Amino acid sequence: MAVTLGKRKRREASTVESTHGEVDDRDARALFQRAFEAKFKPLEVTEKLPSAPETAPLGDSFDRDDEESVTSDWGGLSDDNAQIEVVNHDAVDAAGHQLAKQEQKAFMSSKPPTATQLAPSIATQAASTSAEDEAETSNLKHDLALQRLLKESHLLDHSSTKDSAVVPEGKVRVKALDLRLRDLGAKQSLSEQKTMPLAHRKGIKAKAAGRETARRKEAVENGVIWEKVRASAQPQKRRERSIGSPSIGKFRGGTLKLSSHDVKSIERSRLQGGGKGRRR
Amino acid sequence: MAATPAPPTLKFTGSKHLIQRLVLATLTGKPLRISQIRSASHTSPGLAPHEVSFLRLLEALTNGSQIEFSYTGTTVLYKPGLITGSAAGHGAQGGVIRHEVPGECRRGVSFFLVPLCLLAPFAKAGVNVLFTGPGVITSSTETGDVSMDTVRTAILPVFKSFGIERDLEVRILRRSNAGRDGKGGGGEVQLVFGHQVRLPKTVHLMSAGQVKRVRGVAYSTGVAGANNARLIEAARGVLNEVAPDTYIFSDVSAAPFVPAPTRENPAAKRKTGLGFGLSLVAETNTGALYSADVASPPAGGEPPEDLGRKCAFQLLEAIEQGGCVSSVAAPTLLTLMAMGSEDVGRVALGKEVLGSEHVVQLARDLRSFGMSGWGLRDGDEEDSIVVSIVGKGVGNVGRKIA
Repeated sequence: MAVTLGKRKRREASTVESTHGEVDDRDARALFQRAFEAKFKPLEVTEKLPSAPETAPLGDSFDRDDEESVTSDWGGLSDDNAQIEVVNHDAVDAAGHQLAKQEQKAFMSSKPPTATQLAPSIATQAASTSAEDEAETSNLKHDLALQRLLKESHLLDHSSTKDSAVVPEGKVRVKALDLRLRDLGAKQSLSEQKTMPLAHRKGIKAKAAGRETARRKEAVENGVIWEKVRASAQPQKRRERSIGSPSIGKFRGGTLKLSSHDVKSIERSRLQGGGKGRRR
Repeated sequence: MAATPAPPTLKFTGSKHLIQRLVLATLTGKPLRISQIRSASHTSPGLAPHEVSFLRLLEALTNGSQIEFSYTGTTVLYKPGLITGSAAGHGAQGGVIRHEVPGECRRGVSFFLVPLCLLAPFAKAGVNVLFTGPGVITSSTETGDVSMDTVRTAILPVFKSFGIERDLEVRILRRSNAGRDGKGGGGEVQLVFGHQVRLPKTVHLMSAGQVKRVRGVAYSTGVAGANNARLIEAARGVLNEVAPDTYIFSDVSAAPFVPAPTRENPAAKRKTGLGFGLSLVAETNTGALYSADVASPPAGGEPPEDLGRKCAFQLLEAIEQGGCVSSVAAPTLLTLMAMGSEDVGRVALGKEVLGSEHVVQLARDLRSFGMSGWGLRDGDEEDSIVVSIVGKGVGNVGRKIA
């Protein structure tokens, strides 16, 4: 390694010197060599390399031999193939990646995978509508101002519609904001008062009910047709049955009572469920 | 309670199929006496640590059961009570039964979990059991237990055909292979079984079908995740010709710690349960499942390529045995059919599955417990036999008595 460095240094020195005066340098070296040989043993003859331009001082000693052959044989890049070859490794395509995610959720969750879950559900493309219809619906959806007008029109009064800008102000603005928030998913209304004394709430409710009945009475008197008042039923929840009890009817005191509704549903399922027993 | 005379005690001998007999006794409510348990062994006579642990689990799960050991431990008298599940006040804290598995246990946690899944649908309340302690091994073991992934993907789906499907979960909270010498592990598993039925439905599983897809889990605990890739590649190399739709998921986790207190440091812990394994499940177009399971030996020495190929060949063997149920899930399915409604259920099993010692002994034990015998006839496919089982309508005994 040190020898290489020394040689490199000398060669570097030689190249540096060569810029100033190559011929003088060679003579001087010859003189020095003769003087050295006179004092010590004659120097080993080292073949002087052809003065190839030193591209870089890096590289090992054995590279120098390669460089000779490379510089002599290699003729440069050929311009025959001007096109560049591009190799693309798409390991996972987008659809395959989606599938893997779905599969992972189905298989690797803590629940046992069901047969239907193991089947990959590739989402089918919705039927493509014509371009015009699509534009129509998207325009309507995106027309925020129009939608807002349609929703808040009952809040606005005639005076504000006189000028073109239909921006609500004041109390109407608060109500409009409340409506928009509820649209976006707010659970409670801004203007609703949650706590008030019981007497107040009773009074407010009674007044509202009284106003409603008065309005209906007047409408009937004036001949305006109104829908009939029907009490809104709570969503019917299925009754929870204990283990061992029959799935239909009431079982009390050793007797199973079937209402006419139960009997009708049994008859209906008997007609429809003919082919269910034949499986596998 | 009605003044019925106590049913006569059934007598069995030997430690083989001990758990199966305990489960049947609990389900039918008949007392049981098992004697000569490893009486010929000099080094470890009597019940093994995992069997004692299972009896403790039964005690926690049931109400009113009496367990008596003889002095040497080679005889057990078991009078079953009602299966209450994880109801409050019966051994459960906060609705969860914590079961500590001892560190000397050599069996995987599926040894406890599969019989527990058999008892759970007949419990009074939902079953929620957490397995912890220094002996929980979630991978497959050399003693022949399957891994938790196989239990979840190949055994639990069997319950679906009986109408038991909702609120069913097996959560692997921490993975662990077997520790040094195959003893102990630091895993944690929770079973949530929230669907209780009066009687399982009658099933008719006649056609096995063709293998459609293969899914699996490669897991590495405390070792490099590259083992998973090697396992998967080796298994795929064998399986790609059989089932092109193969996908194996990879799970890498850190090694679990178990407490190893020394005199200087009572809170010391040490790593245990390092290893890797592969669990494969093949599914047919009719929903039959075949499974295979391998794990690295605790002493090490087997490269993952060999293990992956071994697992793939094991799966192919299971597929060759055929039938609608594999040998891993067959005892569960057949017991559920025997406990079902008073109707004839049929299942097509492969000859090798039906002829295995476990299934034949199960048939004999069911006869001893008063269930009806099985009818056998040749199935449509060659090498398959259709087993007809008449359910006894035993079902949820606890509801009847209570």
